[in-house]
Amino acid sequence: MDRQAWTTLFHRLLFTSAVWIVLSGTDAKALAVGAFAVPAATWLSLRLLPGRDRLVLWRFLRHFPSFVGGSLQGGVDVARRAISPGMPLLPGWVEVPVRLPDGGRVALGAELSLMPGTLAAGVRGDRLLVHLLDTDAGFENAIPREEAAIAAMILGTGKEVGP
Amino acid sequence: MNDLATYAFTSIGLFFFVAGSVGFLRFPDVFSRLHALTKADNLGLGFIALGIAFQAESWRLVALLFLIWGLMLLAAGTMSQLIARDALRERDGR
Amino acid sequence: MTWLTCVAVGVLASLSAALLRVWHGPGRADRMMGAQLAGTSGVAVLVVLAPLEGWAALDVALILALFGALAAVGFVKAVSADGGGDPEEDEDLAATPSANGVSSE
Repeated sequence: MDRQAWTTLFHRLLFTSAVWIVLSGTDAKALAVGAFAVPAATWLSLRLLPGRDRLVLWRFLRHFPSFVGGSLQGGVDVARRAISPGMPLLPGWVEVPVRLPDGGRVALGAELSLMPGTLAAGVRGDRLLVHLLDTDAGFENAIPREEAAIAAMILGTGKEVGP
Repeated sequence: MNDLATYAFTSIGLFFFVAGSVGFLRFPDVFSRLHALTKADNLGLGFIALGIAFQAESWRLVALLFLIWGLMLLAAGTMSQLIARDALRERDGR
Repeated sequence: MTWLTCVAVGVLASLSAALLRVWHGPGRADRMMGAQLAGTSGVAVLVVLAPLEGWAALDVALILALFGALAAVGFVKAVSADGGGDPEEDEDLAATPSANGVSSE
């Protein structure tokens, strides 16, 4: 096993152990069952979704506050538009070229759907289709920033992304 | 004090749920409605979970509350993409 | 706390208002969104009632959250029963673990 495989295994083990402890507490009995359940779940998760990209955990965690801030802004923005009598909307589409690998692209789409004013609606070729709630508000400016943040979490995309 | 935090955060959460439903009813096209549903409702759930966390008796319950919220966020982010893509296909008559 | 009961009733009221949209549609996506909203509201109600009814309600909420996600995946898979022929769809589905067949191993 190379270094990447170990990193992936470590991340998955960390995740499944944390979920197990949250679900069943720290009783001796629960931990005893977990000693079988956690490795089994880790094996299953690696089999169903092999780690293809190297996730940098601390960059992922560092991004978390800005993600929470963005989704807060997104919720406030959409609530304001929904409730104000004039209902200020100017819906439209943009197509953005995205150079992330598959998993990263889905993550980007999911994140954009929770950020203010943007909603990903799949890929056409290598371009991400993004619906905008207001084409005048400059929501699309956040897209390259989020893409860069996700690219930074996945080690090695620097080369694959190309020029 | 804890009860006060619960009152405050659950009220905010309820507000976002109501706002999400209003947007879902009022917004003119399917994609805008999807915006309202994805963003407002999951924020509402987050605030409700935060409010209830102040009532929790152990750290495990707090963690469980945020696991539920995280799972819903993940599901909402993925689902909104899938539904949007399908709505696009429906609109294009496919 | 009776306040929590009020919040639960409020969430349910907002859900029932949203059911109007499910009734009117017009598209199938609108109806699916209604189902998703019902899932989110159900989870919220369970979470709100957990301090009153017992914390085991949180386990139910977790399971409901999981099922809600599966229902939406099922919907999208079901309406695109034509399967292949859509490169965009294939490309995109390949990235989701649920659609990425295990059989290839």
